[in-house]
Amino acid sequence: MAERPSPLKAQDKLAFLLSLVPFLMEHERISVQDAADHFGVTPQQVRDAVELIAVSGIPGETGQYQHGDLFDLAWDDFEENDQIVLTNLVAIDDAPRFSGREAAALIAGLQYLSALPENADRTAIATLMAKLARGASGPPSQFAVGGSESDGTLALIRESVASGLQLEFDYVNSRGEHERRRVDPLRIESMDADWYLRGWCHLREAVRTFRIDRIGNPRVTTAPITTHAADVQLSDALFEGSENDLVVTIDVAPAAASLLADYLTDGARSTIVDGRTRTTLRVSHYHGLKRLVGGLPGMVTVVEPADARQAVAEWAAAGAAQYDSTAHSTTGAAH
Amino acid sequence: MPAESVSRIPVEERLFSLVLALLATETGLTKNEVLSTVQGYRQRYSAGGDNANLERQFERDKDDIRDLGVPLETVDSPGQAGNNQNLRYRIPRGSYELPSDITFSAEETTLLNLAAMVWREGSLSGESRRAVIKLKGLGLVADEPVLGYAPRIRVRDASFEPLRAALERNAVVRFAYLKPGEAEAGVREVAPLALVQHQGRWHLHALEPGTEVTKTFLLRRIVSQVTTTGSTFPAPSGDQTARALTELDDVWEAHTADVEVVTDSDASTRLLKRRGTVRLPSGALRLHYSDANIFADELAGYGPEALVLSPPALREAVRSRLLGIVAEHTHHDGAAEGSSHG
Repeated sequence: MAERPSPLKAQDKLAFLLSLVPFLMEHERISVQDAADHFGVTPQQVRDAVELIAVSGIPGETGQYQHGDLFDLAWDDFEENDQIVLTNLVAIDDAPRFSGREAAALIAGLQYLSALPENADRTAIATLMAKLARGASGPPSQFAVGGSESDGTLALIRESVASGLQLEFDYVNSRGEHERRRVDPLRIESMDADWYLRGWCHLREAVRTFRIDRIGNPRVTTAPITTHAADVQLSDALFEGSENDLVVTIDVAPAAASLLADYLTDGARSTIVDGRTRTTLRVSHYHGLKRLVGGLPGMVTVVEPADARQAVAEWAAAGAAQYDSTAHSTTGAAH
Repeated sequence: MPAESVSRIPVEERLFSLVLALLATETGLTKNEVLSTVQGYRQRYSAGGDNANLERQFERDKDDIRDLGVPLETVDSPGQAGNNQNLRYRIPRGSYELPSDITFSAEETTLLNLAAMVWREGSLSGESRRAVIKLKGLGLVADEPVLGYAPRIRVRDASFEPLRAALERNAVVRFAYLKPGEAEAGVREVAPLALVQHQGRWHLHALEPGTEVTKTFLLRRIVSQVTTTGSTFPAPSGDQTARALTELDDVWEAHTADVEVVTDSDASTRLLKRRGTVRLPSGALRLHYSDANIFADELAGYGPEALVLSPPALREAVRSRLLGIVAEHTHHDGAAEGSSHG
């Protein structure tokens, strides 16, 4: 078993070979560059695959891989002009089916995306899912994602971009202050059940990330968008740390560790203290920390600094105090 | 030993040659024919000698190819049913090729690329990557989307992958499950029917072996490794995922809580956007939830911005969580400690 080569890599390459052949059959002549662009791979990956295809084939009558049993290529065109022209074809006539798991992954992905305005046409989506299931060689594996309703804010963000007009909305900043923000939407991102808008914020004059479910009273303005997605290189990280971030030491129960992964400081060292992981995380303000810790009761404890502990304790105490009075007397706002 | 020549034939060339050979044969090839003639095997084949290693290689290759959705099948040789050595292998064209009437519009291609992007991290990233390669092979070009999307599901539950593997093989699984409020995890043995994500959390829908009773487990409460027991169960009929999601939706519908929120607070903005939330004439929100313990955690995070009016059990659950947080953050616990006593 130890000699087993990484099967994933080889399987990807096999999928590429089996998909490239019918693609090249459709395109009698195509440049290496165009094929690479289409598949999103490097030209060298295309060249390697084409060279392999060109010497492959079937054992044939003789079991000897005779000339006619192999694919063939217009080698001069390939070597001199970087053009691909297959001159002999064997065994493969058509594109392969999806595996049951591949179909299931796509179907579940579509279910997950059901909140997008592009997915508003449920009949079209159902048709697409049925096609995927029919195009699979086995029954789609039994996993799925529950759909969500179309989100009005997402539709409005899309409208803002389509019409080239800035979006405006209420937002509570990381310090808990209410602001009206004007934003040029750049990209919608999501992580599991949480959806985010990344956009150019005219108030901050910088790229900012907004939680969609914190956006209040959105509307499309009449002011034109000035920053477009093509103008900005968005980093992969949703939240970028700033030098003003506060670093907090916490103890985390093993079960909650993965839930906090996004907040941990880069290269944070962790030690085990009484069965819990002691590590550090970054927060821009205690306003966010107290909500984070409050939402993971019993699983996260702030160790230091002392004022962070105090912020969390006061937040929770204010919450608990409401329950000591009658059910209908509310305490004041907590800011 | 022909080992040197072997290393020069890449794995993908051997797999590709195997697919081509088995696609081209009507009647199928015996294992011996494959090993002695197909590129990548024949170089290592020893006529009349011991080919045990090569046979094992072939077994693994068959699995890898089937994993890709290639329908590699075995047929008995005519008149030799049951003779293992004369089993023949082939890939029937009709089940290999994508039916020609299945095509995707540019709009559909855009959606499918997005759907694949959802899994770009984690255990299904290989599947979705290969699905996209196959879509590209159809020559499809996606629409340029109006707005860029970067959707992502991260399966953070360690039990997801072993459960999914067991599900595909109809294998009974065993794991330790920690029910909220119980001090010790109990060991469960169940037949997995479906894995579904509902309201952002993964659930296992499973059958108690030997009964008709189905149960739903939250993956995040599985606290041990998932192991298979060695026994299997008959494949269930019908769409188990739809059943599981309907049941979870029913639970969600049935559970409501009335919660008072501070106007214009984070709690008010976000809770109002939860699916199915309505504002009562009193101004309080009526919210749906599926699991009281998880919902109590969520509500505790809002501190003084949210006050549970009903049901009483949820009220008490949130209150005790908040008091627990206060205790944990005001008592000296031997750690570096400041002055946080009021």
